[in-house]
This record gives sequence, structure tokens and C-alpha cells, in this order.
Amino acid sequence: MLSWEFPPRTVGGIAAHLFNLSRELVKLGVDTHIVTCDFPGAPESEVVNGAHVLRVDSYKTPSPDFATWDSLMNVNMQKETAALISSLSGQVDIIHAHDWLVANAALGLKHVFRIPLAATMHSTEIGRRNGLHTDYERMIHQTENWLAHESWRVVCCSQYMSGQVRWAYGLSRDRVTVIPNGVDVSVYEEEFDRAEFRKRFAWPEEKIVLFVGRLVYEKGVQTLISAIPKVLSRVNAKFVVVGEGGMKDSLMRQVANMRLAHKIMFTGFLDEESLRKLYQIADVCVVPSLYEPFGITALEAMAAKTPLVASNTGGLSEIVEHDKTGTKIFAGNADSVAWGITRVLLDPGYANWIKLNAYQKTLEVYDWAKIAKQTKEYYEQILKEYDGGSWKPT
Amino acid sequence: MRVILFTWEFPPRIAGQLAYYVNRLAVELIKKNVDVYVVTYNNSWIGFHQGADGIKAYRISDKVQPQINVLTWMLSLNQEAERVAADIYYSMKHEVNLIDAHDWHFIPAAVTLKRALKIPFVYSIDSIEPHRSRNSGAPLSSSIRSMESLGISEAARIIVKSEWMKQELKRYYNAPDNVIEVVSPDSESWIDGILATYQKRLEVPAS
Repeated sequence: MLSWEFPPRTVGGIAAHLFNLSRELVKLGVDTHIVTCDFPGAPESEVVNGAHVLRVDSYKTPSPDFATWDSLMNVNMQKETAALISSLSGQVDIIHAHDWLVANAALGLKHVFRIPLAATMHSTEIGRRNGLHTDYERMIHQTENWLAHESWRVVCCSQYMSGQVRWAYGLSRDRVTVIPNGVDVSVYEEEFDRAEFRKRFAWPEEKIVLFVGRLVYEKGVQTLISAIPKVLSRVNAKFVVVGEGGMKDSLMRQVANMRLAHKIMFTGFLDEESLRKLYQIADVCVVPSLYEPFGITALEAMAAKTPLVASNTGGLSEIVEHDKTGTKIFAGNADSVAWGITRVLLDPGYANWIKLNAYQKTLEVYDWAKIAKQTKEYYEQILKEYDGGSWKPT
Repeated sequence: MRVILFTWEFPPRIAGQLAYYVNRLAVELIKKNVDVYVVTYNNSWIGFHQGADGIKAYRISDKVQPQINVLTWMLSLNQEAERVAADIYYSMKHEVNLIDAHDWHFIPAAVTLKRALKIPFVYSIDSIEPHRSRNSGAPLSSSIRSMESLGISEAARIIVKSEWMKQELKRYYNAPDNVIEVVSPDSESWIDGILATYQKRLEVPAS
């Protein structure tokens, strides 16, 4: 597997995805090698939960911009992966690329070794930017397009992303496989002094409403803030907002103008342990996104047994079933957000029902072991087609 | 002997004089019974063509457009160069003896093919970035320099056209003396000099 990030190098969600997926693939007997970028203090080569990790020089000479850096990093990644595959006597069955950031390296290796290429598209440039506006964005889009077409079959993490990928790159339905993201429930099971930890965020009489995400427009945090007065008119609550982003200053101004500064807490980035605990003590977790390819925070809340209120949008709408595994709200509608939150906070029986159903669903659908099994089946299907074709070298 | 020539310009696509040089090289090598394949770039004339002169040329094209600079452009084209070189390799039953890469453009592909398929490469240098950019330290220029540097450290042999260029390579890149061959295109023994360099490479087991 090729990825530009793997722990401890964590930029977005791909690092955690690979960390969990590789661990479970190893358990299924898949000899997994991960080639990724180097990181200060991390060894060049190590075994993590049975997977072999190789960290390559991520190219540190000054380069003009991010995309050019990425192209140069791919030169090193390809060179080192070629040497790795040669050292394994070419006994590599699948090259699995994660996102366009490793497209160049993966594409060349596919042809040089004639090994089938698998690709997971975690998101798309056209979705991230809500359109294509510059040559820079168009170049990345075309690189994704190239990767999508050269890969045997593309993996997407939701039906919503599958639709977007098929539309954006003109792929037929049989070229896309949907395998969801996963969540590790065991990390939410450790014991701690809840009352003591809770004091850091709210008074004992306040309910905790949690938001986790980048503070950017598409995450809908501004809608949540607009909903606060309506919620407070019915129930005493503290709104805890975890994350950073370009909108932070304007959101804080919005809160001050509403005279609500005492009812909302911006924590900024939070360490993983505190965040895990926070999920467990929160009375409700809100995901009010306007755009969401998957919605990993919703899964985290479900795994932590936190009742969930989420927008009916993108991948989120597939994770959450209304009145069963969560409460669905209209994206961008503050009244709807307030309705969802008060419904959960004022009806403990209902809250308990949705949170237990949601937890059960994480075990049934979003379990990494099951996801790894589906991934292995996806590999096996590719290999079956590959073995029957004439492209395979003799 | 079967040799693949990598060049970013080849007739009818002419950017500088390198196109003419590589064309002449291919013609002369064929006369010496070398099986020559040219892998080059052309966005309007695509695919395989064998001319009356016997040159077998594969013209690759852009898979990603637009591009933001010459580096992102070349580095994405390198994957196509690898694809075509690998196709030649597999259809020729793994018998490709050498790659001759002209200037930096397809150095990353040559390096990967060396590591993956054990095909050694010769780096033929027509010009270098410190001259083209007047030794600019700008990020784009230094990134191109790093590609040339990669070629110099990974190539089995380096061919330059003058003693002056040899000295410049030593000056800018600390290139080791014993891997650089000076073969003047003006001399009578030009093609024999090139062939001798290729042969020299073939005597050494591929690393």
C-alpha cells in the first residue's frame, strides 16, 4: 500500500485508515507492506502490528508548491518501492494506492512490474473545492481521473462517494466497489473519572453538546451556533466545539454578539485521549455538515455510545438511519438542528435507544476486521480477473 | 544489443537541437545492428511508428492536463515512459540491454526501471540546469537540478559531448571522473565511441 501519511505522520484521515486496515489485513494472512513519507523521529523501517512500514525520503529540498513537492516525493517513493518489490522477488500481488497523492508512483509501478493496481479514493478534488477553479485544481482532478481509470477497480467509502467518483471520472458502476471506513470501539472502553473530567468542560447541571471537526464552512458549525438560543430556551446546555479552522475568529465574534460566550467552549485541537473521553461524557454529538464524503466523526460518536444528531447529507445520510441510529436533520437549517438536539436531550429513553442501535451498527458494519475481509475479497476478485487475462507477464 | 533511447524531443517535435542529435544517433546505431527503440513525447502524433530509416518510435502523450509547471508535467509523463519501456521489455521477452536517457526529463523513469527490471542506464547530457538557469537557486530550478543529480548518481555511465561539460559536471555535481565519457559528435569515431560506452556498461553485471 502506498500512502503519503501513516502514523505518527498524520495529516488527514488516511493515516488512521491505513493503521487499522493494515492491522486487520495482517490478521487475515495478507502480507502487508506500507510505503509512506518519513517523519521526524519515526524509524525508516519497522513492523507495526505485523505490517511492514517503509518510510522514504519525502523530498526536503525547497519546491515551488504542494503539488510539485508531491510529484518530487513520488519520484523517491517509486524508486524505493521498486527496490522493495525487487527485493521481494517481485512476489507482490497488488499495489494499493490511497488518493492522488501517490498516483504517479503507483501508476509507473503498475506497468513496470505488471502488478494490478487497486486505488481507494478517500475524497475528490472537485468535491473538496466544490468545483474546479484553477489549473492547479484541474491538474489534481485529472491526476485522480488517471488513477481511477488505471486502477482495476476503485474503492470508495460510501455510496455517496461512489456516485461522485462515477460522475466525476465517468466510471461505470462495475468499476467501483464500496467498502466503508471503520471505527475501533475498544478505544472507547477505558475507565476514567467521568465527573472529574466533565468539570473541565461544563457545570454539572449543563448537558454537553459536542461538535468535532474543522471549523470550515462545509462542516456547518455556523448552523449549530445559530441554533443555540432555541436549544437553550428548552434545556440548559454547554456547547463544546473541538477543532481549528479559518472560521474560528468569525464564529467567536458571532458567539460574542449573541451574548452566548459563557455557553460555548472552543477547545481548539484536542489530544486523542481527551477527545475519546469527551465523546463518552457528551450527552449528544452533532454533525451538521453541508458536505461530507463519509463522516468519520459520526462513527466515532456511535462507537463511544454518544447519541448522534447528523445532517441528511453525503456519506452521513448512509451511516445514520433516522430514529434508529441517530436523529437526522436538514443540512444548513438551524431550526432543524435545534429540534434534533432538544429531542435527544429531553427524551432520555429515545437517546438511549438510538445510541445503543448505533453502537450495534458499528460492530456489525464498521468493524475493521469486517472491512479488512471485504478488502481482501476485493483483492481476490482483482487477482482472479488478472490471472485470467493476457496482461500478466509470463 | 537492444537499446531504448529516452528523449523529450524527437522529430517531428523539435524543441532544440537534441531532437536532431537523437535522430542521428538512432540512425547510426541501427547501421551498427543495434535494435533501437525511441521513447519520446508528442501530444498530436501518438503511439508506435516505424519509419523507413528503421527507427521504432513510441510517442507518449499527456495523461494529465493542464499542468502547473515543467516538473509536474515531466514527472507525470515519466509514468507513461515507464509503461512503454515496460511494454517493450515484456514483449521482447525481458531482453532490453540498456536505456540511454537524454537530459533529465526521463531520469526518474530510468531510475525506476533500473531498480525494478535491472535495466542499466546511460545518462547522455546535452545541457544542465545550472547553465540554463544561470545557476538560479529558485525552487523550481533547484528541483530540476535534483533530478539531474539523481541521474548522475544512478547512471552506469554518463556521456557528454565535450571535455568542458565534463569539467562542469564535476564542478556543479561532484560527478566522479571515471564514469564520464567524452564523446564528441563531431569526431569521426563518434558512433564507435557511443557503442564502446554502451558495451563497457554491458560487461559489468547489472547492479
